[in-house]
Amino acid sequence: MSIDDRTMKDLIAESQDLHVDAMRDIKETLPELAQIREERRGQEVDADEINRFNAGRRQVLKGMGYGAGGLAARGLVVGGFGGMFAGILSTPAYADTALDIQILQTASSLETLASATYATALTLPFIKNGSATVVKFAQTTMAQHDEHNKAFQAQTTALGGKPQTMPNAKFAAVVEQAAPGLKAPADVVTLASSLEKVATDTYLTNLTMLEDMKSKVIMSSVMGVEAQHLATLRAVGALLAGGAPELIKIPIGADLAKLPAAAGSVAFPDALEQTDPMLLAPADSGVVK
Amino acid sequence: MSRSESTPSVDVQPASADVADVQATGAKPAAAWGRRGLLATAAAAAAAVAAACSSSETSSGGSSTAAAPSAATGDLAVAKLAAGLEVLAVGTYRAALDAATANKLGPVPPAVATFVQTAMAHHQVHLDAWNMVLDGAGQPKVTEPDAKLKPTVDAAFAKVTDVTGAANLALLLEQIAAQTYSKAIPTLQSKDAIMLAAQIQIIDQQHQSILLYALGMYPVPEVFQSTAKAAS
Repeated sequence: MSIDDRTMKDLIAESQDLHVDAMRDIKETLPELAQIREERRGQEVDADEINRFNAGRRQVLKGMGYGAGGLAARGLVVGGFGGMFAGILSTPAYADTALDIQILQTASSLETLASATYATALTLPFIKNGSATVVKFAQTTMAQHDEHNKAFQAQTTALGGKPQTMPNAKFAAVVEQAAPGLKAPADVVTLASSLEKVATDTYLTNLTMLEDMKSKVIMSSVMGVEAQHLATLRAVGALLAGGAPELIKIPIGADLAKLPAAAGSVAFPDALEQTDPMLLAPADSGVVK
Repeated sequence: MSRSESTPSVDVQPASADVADVQATGAKPAAAWGRRGLLATAAAAAAAVAAACSSSETSSGGSSTAAAPSAATGDLAVAKLAAGLEVLAVGTYRAALDAATANKLGPVPPAVATFVQTAMAHHQVHLDAWNMVLDGAGQPKVTEPDAKLKPTVDAAFAKVTDVTGAANLALLLEQIAAQTYSKAIPTLQSKDAIMLAAQIQIIDQQHQSILLYALGMYPVPEVFQSTAKAAS
């Protein structure tokens, strides 16, 4: 596996510059958020907010088949993972926590889990001693998730909530279950892809339920970055599965001509992002209890 | 993970196809997903948005018997802006494809040829979705590219002489589109409009990652997605 370390370092430095700019923008929103917190202090979640959440959850349940004709009705979700999700979704929204705060806490729980998973992956011999490009990607992505988490936590605080510092319990269990099966880079890429899909699509879904403007700004911004993590992992996974790990390098240079035609489409299987109910974190699944 | 992202494999055969080959096979990427399926998805999304936008516009006042459509405001103004960007994207990708087919861009790697066809098909779906929204709300469909950006893009395209130049221009268009959606989302009122814009934002961000990789750059350059290049 070849990699131009100097170019990679330049690219990472450039990325970090962008990060500084972005963090400045995010920090600029915090005073406004603090003002909102003061306005909302002591304010209990209203009935409309709870109805908004529960309506969203019912829609997910319907999509999963807990309505007529769905997956469950067709016998495709019978216990196991499906049963676990049905249990989560059946849990009513916490009436003592504003929905926006619940959504932000859940986002933090997903970011914490993602960071921890990349950190663990970086300790696996076949990752840390493998492709330098994959190692750099894992390190950079982990750092990006950490920053996302900080932004969500700061926003949670600004809205008067308690920042979530623990990983999403439901998907942490799924990662733990997958851990013994991680035997090669492709296994790690598949797991990471799933977590990025969960984050991307959970933010996509929750964007429609958020009310606070600044929360929407941050969630939309983070969602766009998770989508890129997912696209990159899909491309990397396809090259690994296709037996072409030598093409995983930055810059690709003249080897661009060696990339198979499918590399131009494999990262985005749909023209419009499609959510999978099994890969969505319920809005209240990361609530601080 | 009991349910995980499926990892498709790519067939790593010697790369020999050119743009003409891809075209000759009948728009492979779009066909692989099924154009009908794409349109059905877009139609379902657009119908929901149109209903919401229409309801929103009506409830905000005004006569329902007006012969001519009123100016698009609120969510519909965003739909109109988005459609103009999508027309521009489809047109630019088509022009790039034509130039490549006419051997005006030099050798075109197979992955790049597939990307151009795929991205063009995606943007056509996005355009169709927004136009269904506008049509459903009694607004005229958008068929012309964004007037503010077109001169700049045309001028940039006139300077394109190779695949790298075309990819850089495509990257700029994808950045403008994705950032426009990200900036618009917090301002949208209809949940369905938010959903459609976000679904498209995700795809446009992903297009960028592959373009960045092809151009030798890091595929996820930002920690937080910027909106500095958003159109208005």
